[in-house]
Amino acid sequence: MIEVHVGELHAVAKSGEGSMTLSLVGTADTSAESALNELLGRLHGELQKTGVRVVVVDLHELEFMNSSCFKSFITWIVAVRRLPEDQHYKIRFRPNAAMHWQKRSLHAICYFGGDLVSIES
Amino acid sequence: MALPTSFDMVFAPTTRIVSVVRRFVSSLYERILEDAELSSQLALVTHELMENAVKYNIDDETSLRVSVTPQSESLSDMTVTIRTRNRATPENIRSAQRIITRVKEAQDPFLFYQELMMSSVMVPEGSGLGLARIRAETELTIDFNIDGDSIEIVAQTQLRHGGEA
Repeated sequence: MIEVHVGELHAVAKSGEGSMTLSLVGTADTSAESALNELLGRLHGELQKTGVRVVVVDLHELEFMNSSCFKSFITWIVAVRRLPEDQHYKIRFRPNAAMHWQKRSLHAICYFGGDLVSIES
Repeated sequence: MALPTSFDMVFAPTTRIVSVVRRFVSSLYERILEDAELSSQLALVTHELMENAVKYNIDDETSLRVSVTPQSESLSDMTVTIRTRNRATPENIRSAQRIITRVKEAQDPFLFYQELMMSSVMVPEGSGLGLARIRAETELTIDFNIDGDSIEIVAQTQLRHGGEA
């Protein structure tokens, strides 16, 4: 388990059967940027070690994410893309329809990530 | 619907207040505009602009002005304007000027945003991603005014018939 509690953000990554779930709760803003970067870097390393092929990013309780933290996800996606193709894993976002900002932000990140990124319906 | 509505806020440049203000304006927009999705977009814009204003401020004051004003007697057409103002270094003012001009001139804001996402990976800070995000993910336009070492960033949208942008 990887856990971070910084500012108004609480993030926990837990592994399950053949998958990993990263849950983000609260607000990801400037105060969380550096910790989130570090967490995603550690998670990336862990996913390569364990060979897990799907990571679910649960945003159900994420009230808001600013562009700096959004950039942390972009950096993560680029890092996955730079791996040899047989080591690629998928990132699947689990949104909350009541958090309206997520719809357009996830559309943008999904477009950016291509087939590496998807959104649960 | 209570119109016109506006408020000014002057605050010390600390990021800790940004989320508090975002929640406040989100509630305010929802009450005034009666549109949860649009209110969420306006809250996003407020947050991104305030964070930039705080980050690049060289003074002990940052200001935010939000106004919702009717364009006609019927109140069905409205203008929402969100402004931040702060003092900044000449270098950061030039940088904001350059980024906002690129955002404004982008023929396709979404594709421009995608390009900036890619290039932002190589840029430790000041990528302009927040400004491009405003233009691509919301209905608001973005512009700036410079007065000496003070920069005002203005995001605006016209609404019709109960919140539709």
